[in-house]
Amino acid sequence: MVCRRLTLILGVLALGLALTAGPVLAETIKIGVAAPYTGGAAAYGDNIKAGVNLKLEEINGAGGIKGKKVEIVWGDDLCEPKEAGTVGSKFAADKSIVAVIGHLCSSATLAALPIYVRSGLPCISPTSTNVTIGKVGKGWFFRNVYRDDFQGKFLARYVSKILGLKKVAVFHENNDYAIGLKDAFVAEAKAVGLTVVGIEAYVAKTTDFTPQLTKLLTNKPDAIFLCGYYQEGALIAGQARKKDFTGPLFGADGIDNADYIKIAGKAADDTYMTVPFLADAAGPEAKGFIERFKKSTGRDLDWMSANAYDCMGILAEVIGKVGADRKKIRDALAAMSSADKGYKGVTGVTFFDKLGDCQKPAFVKMVKDGKFTPAKQM
Amino acid sequence: MLLEQLINGLTLGGIYALIAVGYTMVYGVIQLINFAHGEVYMLGAFFALTFINLLGLPFYLAFLLSMVCCAVCGMLLDMVAYRPLRRSPRLAALITAIGMSIFLQNLAMIIWGSRPLPFAQEAVPAYFEAKAFTLAGVSLSWFQLFIFGVTIIMMTGLNLIIKKTSTGRAMRAVAQNKTMAALVGVNVNKVITITFALAGAMAAAAGIMVGVYYNSLYPTMGYIAGVKAFAAAVLGGIGSVPGAMLGGVVLGVAEALGAGYLSSLYRDGISYAVMIIVIVFIPAGFFGKLIRETKKSL
Repeated sequence: MVCRRLTLILGVLALGLALTAGPVLAETIKIGVAAPYTGGAAAYGDNIKAGVNLKLEEINGAGGIKGKKVEIVWGDDLCEPKEAGTVGSKFAADKSIVAVIGHLCSSATLAALPIYVRSGLPCISPTSTNVTIGKVGKGWFFRNVYRDDFQGKFLARYVSKILGLKKVAVFHENNDYAIGLKDAFVAEAKAVGLTVVGIEAYVAKTTDFTPQLTKLLTNKPDAIFLCGYYQEGALIAGQARKKDFTGPLFGADGIDNADYIKIAGKAADDTYMTVPFLADAAGPEAKGFIERFKKSTGRDLDWMSANAYDCMGILAEVIGKVGADRKKIRDALAAMSSADKGYKGVTGVTFFDKLGDCQKPAFVKMVKDGKFTPAKQM
Repeated sequence: MLLEQLINGLTLGGIYALIAVGYTMVYGVIQLINFAHGEVYMLGAFFALTFINLLGLPFYLAFLLSMVCCAVCGMLLDMVAYRPLRRSPRLAALITAIGMSIFLQNLAMIIWGSRPLPFAQEAVPAYFEAKAFTLAGVSLSWFQLFIFGVTIIMMTGLNLIIKKTSTGRAMRAVAQNKTMAALVGVNVNKVITITFALAGAMAAAAGIMVGVYYNSLYPTMGYIAGVKAFAAAVLGGIGSVPGAMLGGVVLGVAEALGAGYLSSLYRDGISYAVMIIVIVFIPAGFFGKLIRETKKSL
């Protein structure tokens, strides 16, 4: 009886040891990629996957980094802070993961970042735009996308100068990204003489916006600011059009997604959005990438895929230089502090300041006849 | 704006009422809060989506077919999950209901994916978007009229079934006292199955209308609607069908007015706050009966 118990326990211990020994002996470099792959923001995750996978093919096709293949560990954070914390803990605890590309949503990044800081895991985000992230990152966070204070200002100026509108209504989601963006926009709107006739908020996963729209539309705005992600933005667009709102809609980086047009249908027409990357304005290095993307995914390149592609490229270059060590990767990323020391990718030159933020230009896209096309640039 | 908010509220309220009636009927006959009811509502929408998008069926046919499928789903739910626990403690059935809810949500995620899906543009009749008439500056689309119409017809139909048919009489008998009803010759299991079928069909109608109105279907949509409809049923007095209808409308209007006038961010909180205030003053809900716990004699 005791003998059988003992054998069982020893067997389980041996199995456990065998399993844990596995990853340590593996000859791959593991990078964690965190984004929403399921749920209401899953279309963003598709873009990240597409961009990262394209770069991964290139890297592994060329034999990997210094002979070691790169392996991606995908972490689904559902664009929710709670899940992001779980994914963050998982990545931080797995010592074979040397860097993280992510997270996608600013709220998710803010939730996972303290975990990465505590365990010393460098994190580079292709898409989180909230202003406060750099401070929370304490040197472990980098991003190759611009910040919302810049984007909000740009948007206010664009709407006032290029679109020539006088009154706007703001409809924002109640999360870090949208509130930061809304604040930057409203502050600059005051400075350029744009009147904000109403500000309404909603929580994620809301499907009925009719009461708030009724309230906003009584003030007769010229345009509505869809300050949030594509899912709710598309629903707001549809419901606003049903209420006979014919003016333009505009949004920021969150609206640039094929699913926005798919869900809103005809209501998506006449929507403007600021984006960090525009295929038509890209330099010659990007042309090859744009075609490969179109061939492998069947859709036009969006800015998230381009940024994710470059993040993977940045990490590959850095790991090639300093090896697969978390602290060394962080130091090497921090050392990319000026244009000549930066990374030249499809989105231009990326280099980071002390907070890990970077300078990137903004472009404007619009939806016309059910398709994305470049709008008049500022 | 008040009129428009009222119309928004009545539209919402009609949907909540349709689902709430299902909760209340099932509670009436077997004293069980069917937490999986919200998922039947969600399945109704997804069945219609499959029929329209995949099989290309016309809208009304898909509507009716989906209602039939959900009636069957409701019956299966009863036969598989609740009937075996008929003589068990109430808690066991409650936990099973929650378990079925989670199971159906995940089943939907596996079958249709977890991403929100829209109806195909051409699938829904185009005249639904057109304006029916304008009243004091507020315009109603044909689809809103369709929602009102379907809601009213179904409620009246249900009332007629319960008050005038023998099946309805049997349902009322089982709701009053299951054992005595069985003693006078009512086939209790059949009555319960019919109740689930009716509840399922109405939930499906609500689901399809919501799916088309907002054009966004996702597997967890049943949860929020289910909780709100349950609140509506409690507000109206759980076990009372007219109560559930009134509760649904009151909740919908409170939510729309709250979102329009008070705070759009806390619209859900406002509708639940209304329910809590009503319950505090009228503990059994509008039409409910306060039943004192007595020793069961049979």
